Amino acid sequence: MAATSRGPTAVPRVLHQTLSGHHGSVHVVRYSKGAATYVMSGGQDRSVRLWNPATGAEIKTFKAHGYEVLSISIAHDNTAFASSGGDRSVFVWDVATGTTTRRIPGHMGKINAVELNQDASCVISGSFDATVRVWDLKSQNRQAIMELKEARDAIQCLHVGPSEIVSGSVDGHVRTYDIRMGELRSDYFGHPVTSVVPTLDGQTLLVSTLDAKVRLLDRADGRVLNTFAGHVNGSYRTRACFGHAEASVVAGDEDGRIWGWDLVDATPLAPDPPPAVHSKVVTWVEQRPNDPGQLVSASADGTIKVWRLAA
Amino acid sequence: MSRLKRKLENAFDGNLPSNLKLNENFCLIGTPLPPLEKSKDTGEFVPLWKQEVRDEKGRRRLHGAFTGGFSAGYFNTVGSKEGWAPSTFTSSRGERAAHKAARPEDFMDDEDLAEIRESQKLVDTTEEMDLTGGTQAELARRAGAGDGPKDEITSALEDALLPTARDSVGARILKKMGWRPGQGVGPRVTWAQLKAQDAQSSSLSSADASKAVAPEHEEATKHTYAPRDTKLPVFTRKTNNQGIGYTPGATLHESTQGTAKTGPSISAGFGLGALNEADDDDIDIYDSTGGPSRATRLAYDVRDVEDDERPTLGPRRPNIANAFKAPQATSSEPPATFHDGRRVISGFVISSAKVSEDTLFPLPEIPPGWKPDPTRVWKTDASATTPAPAAASPPREGNWKNTITAEQRGSMLGETPLPAAPRSVFDYLSQKDRDRLRAMASGIVGAAPPPPVAIVVPTVEPRIAQAALKGFQPFVSDPAKQARYTSYLRSQVGGEEAEAAVPLTPKPGQSNEAFNQELAEYANAARIFKPVSGAMASRFTSAAVVEAGPKAVEGLHQPSASSSSTGPGTGTGMVEKMRLEDPPKLQAAKAGMFGPLTHETEAWFPARLLCKRFGVPDPHPDGAAAEAAAQAKKDKETQFEQETKRLAADAVAAAASSAAADPDGDGEGVGDGRKKDLSNVGLGEDETQGRDTLTYERPAMDIFKAIFASDDEESEDEAEATAAPGAESATRPAIKAETSPPPAVDEPVDLASFRPTFVSRVKREGKAEDAVPKDKEKEKKGKRDKTKSKSKFSLVSFGDEDGDGLEGPAAPPSTDVEERKHKKKRKSKRASERGGADDDDGMWVEKEVPQAVKPVAADVPQAPDAGARGRKRAIDFL
Repeated sequence: MAATSRGPTAVPRVLHQTLSGHHGSVHVVRYSKGAATYVMSGGQDRSVRLWNPATGAEIKTFKAHGYEVLSISIAHDNTAFASSGGDRSVFVWDVATGTTTRRIPGHMGKINAVELNQDASCVISGSFDATVRVWDLKSQNRQAIMELKEARDAIQCLHVGPSEIVSGSVDGHVRTYDIRMGELRSDYFGHPVTSVVPTLDGQTLLVSTLDAKVRLLDRADGRVLNTFAGHVNGSYRTRACFGHAEASVVAGDEDGRIWGWDLVDATPLAPDPPPAVHSKVVTWVEQRPNDPGQLVSASADGTIKVWRLAA
Repeated sequence: MSRLKRKLENAFDGNLPSNLKLNENFCLIGTPLPPLEKSKDTGEFVPLWKQEVRDEKGRRRLHGAFTGGFSAGYFNTVGSKEGWAPSTFTSSRGERAAHKAARPEDFMDDEDLAEIRESQKLVDTTEEMDLTGGTQAELARRAGAGDGPKDEITSALEDALLPTARDSVGARILKKMGWRPGQGVGPRVTWAQLKAQDAQSSSLSSADASKAVAPEHEEATKHTYAPRDTKLPVFTRKTNNQGIGYTPGATLHESTQGTAKTGPSISAGFGLGALNEADDDDIDIYDSTGGPSRATRLAYDVRDVEDDERPTLGPRRPNIANAFKAPQATSSEPPATFHDGRRVISGFVISSAKVSEDTLFPLPEIPPGWKPDPTRVWKTDASATTPAPAAASPPREGNWKNTITAEQRGSMLGETPLPAAPRSVFDYLSQKDRDRLRAMASGIVGAAPPPPVAIVVPTVEPRIAQAALKGFQPFVSDPAKQARYTSYLRSQVGGEEAEAAVPLTPKPGQSNEAFNQELAEYANAARIFKPVSGAMASRFTSAAVVEAGPKAVEGLHQPSASSSSTGPGTGTGMVEKMRLEDPPKLQAAKAGMFGPLTHETEAWFPARLLCKRFGVPDPHPDGAAAEAAAQAKKDKETQFEQETKRLAADAVAAAASSAAADPDGDGEGVGDGRKKDLSNVGLGEDETQGRDTLTYERPAMDIFKAIFASDDEESEDEAEATAAPGAESATRPAIKAETSPPPAVDEPVDLASFRPTFVSRVKREGKAEDAVPKDKEKEKKGKRDKTKSKSKFSLVSFGDEDGDGLEGPAAPPSTDVEERKHKKKRKSKRASERGGADDDDGMWVEKEVPQAVKPVAADVPQAPDAGARGRKRAIDFL
């Protein structure tokens, strides 16, 4: 099991800031890499915004998308990020200038998920057209390096590790493309997969599906170690994530609640049920990586909320 | 022609003694003239390929591609003997700061640099000569008429940051003379003069100006000042097509209001200097404000300034000063004004009669309790009994024509309708006929219902019905209809299926026509939705649910509170769209038994570049992917074969069930009963087409050699071949070689009777090596002693025979290949001397056709006739 040193299992529930700049729903919010000082969000209003969650200030707005922004991935050195959405192209941005450095067309449908690999030499995109494509950023080649067509329905989420690509698809499969082993491992869940988040040790995978379950998957043999339930999730992509030190699991639901579970015994953390803090579906939650007490949540009500632990 | 050429060549060929005379030197005393070649005409025509490009120093400029290209070596280019040899890499990491951008000059050679130097003249003709003191943009910037209002900080920053516009030559000269930007041009003026200038520029009257001259400080009068700068007129660019002076959107009053001019208006155009007197031509003839004294006007209005106080650039012209003393004439008639005080445009008088004004009517009084009810209008329209009263719907100006017809208007006005032409056929009928028709119609309707339409069951071919049963089900969303469709198809299939099927009858309450229509629909559906046959079908996956998509709602979208949430596109349709998995996996997932059943592992072949980008070694190096691809292909092929087999079987079954006559037909009516398979795809209907091409055998190599080989090779081959009699022809069994030792080994062969056969080298090698027995080897050894030589390269079976065979007596033994070649040449020469025909007859024999030869294989002397035949054939090939 991942969490050997059990940290505080409480979910940050004290509202620190509300970042309300988006018009329309916010689909994704991601912490920057490194010290994770900033968050970046993308929404239905076709913009990507950079925020300082500590002060609540909006630093920059990146506007080039012609359709909604569904996914953002920030490069390891915070100089670039990739975003994708309804306009069927992956946009690679330069953070400083706020301009796109690459616009990669090729997908037939909107791109639900985009990820940069560890050294930002590739960008991997998963689309409604049921393919995952790997694009080379080092060359100007317009063709994808590789096209992973195993999925039989839309790709909803991606995770890119040091030597693997994990995709979650609406066909109910989580597919792990292991580049080092040259192996494709697929796990079937029977319900559309909306998010995959691995633990730091890479042994387990947190998978949320549209049957309102979040499951902890043992990647070695496909067993489910724990099932976290109680929340409402039947229609929308809501991302589940690990709490600090991977001692808990946090997920938003369609009633605007943010749920927390103990990782080991899978019991909902107090308060149970949690209060509805957003007026609409919570589309994304993300725990600040190096800070036990900060969590951001994005919602379809157009706000991003920064949560902290009670002092 | 060619003979002449040859003769000339021979004449100039110095080697021949007869031609020595031509180059003979007859000069006895003094220096002889330079040879003929040197005194060549330099302007002589030289063909392009003989021309040479040389630079100004006479060095060759162009070299061949293999001798250095454009300019080889350091003679005229790159400064190194190697030419464009790559320099060794030196890292510039340490001197990044020192690194400066490369200029174009760094890449230029001497010629280019010289060119540049030449082009850098003292005054650059291409440089922008800014006579007006700045570009238009600069002017606009200075005048503050840039894009949008600029605050001071912005303009100050711009001044500081932006590069200054290049000064004109005049400005530079002026600057040298002490002028500063912002000052006017001219000698320095006193305080009073300066004030006068200010007043003048701000269009104050001279009296005010003289008052204002009183100095604020005593000190002020003690200094002289630079004159005020003359304001530059800024003309806006005219981009529209409207007339000059027309302001779009302005009313008549507005357009005339603001143009109250003080001075005479100078007609638009150029050429009037600041102090030039305006002529009659220059003054705008359409300007009526001027009055009689329009002459002697200046473009520059300086009338009230004292002459001595007026700083001028040019020579003084005191006479014009007096001209301005005359007061400006105004129009004699009293100025007419409108009632609001505005002046009437000159040349116009106020009309006494009023222009028609917009009459304003008071709003009609709305009766109390009246509510707008648009449906009432529709109702009245629908009933159309009484036309709406004109007051209720007043026809709008402009489009009333379109809305009301003449008849409507007439009926509105209560006119009696005009007798119009009859419109219908019935109008032409007489009243009696019409009555009769009416009676008949009523009789029919009333008497009896129409006879029931017979149920016509459209037939579908059993084969198609069968296929449609298996294929796409079009009415999934309506189970009842689907059931009826299925039963219809079953009835069409025939056999026990039809017996099992529930007989299709009209639904209760369904008319026969509707039933017929339904059946026709089913028949059509069956034709359309029969599955793509066989191999094609396996490539498509039919969706589980088709008609389950969201129903389109007619009309405008009515937003509701519930549907306003905008999720990221993972609609509820996903669950339904999910394809059904194979049962064990699905069941395991449903039961929550995640584990081995839901976990699958298969090989995956990442692209090589992907591995490289992820910094991971290729998991399947050297062609595993290709292997897998081949495997996949094979699988696909077998799948394809299976599919075709299955298809064929299906077709057979279908044909059998439909009692088709042809048991082997594929249902498409191929008449000859020949089964199509992959091997005869593309041959059309002709079975035998291309058979001869496929069975064509390549003729033996010897034939080609006999035809195409060069003389040298021929002789070589000849040497080998003539030695070959002992060696076996390709078709002969190897044993023959053992049983019949080569006849040419011991006794000298008679040239007339001997016929060698040709054997390909490879076969010869193999055969000879495993067929030639040890004793033969020994023999060879003996012979080797005798001939003392054997080529290292020559083959075991022939080397000795080189000496001993046909050529044995004629040619001396050679020790190496070169010598052998020489020998061959000599040989060939000799052969040619000997005469072609004899040579051919003696040497060249075609290899026998295997079947013909086999019985007489060991018989070498019998070859001649075969040889003759062979030669003939070789010629035939030509």
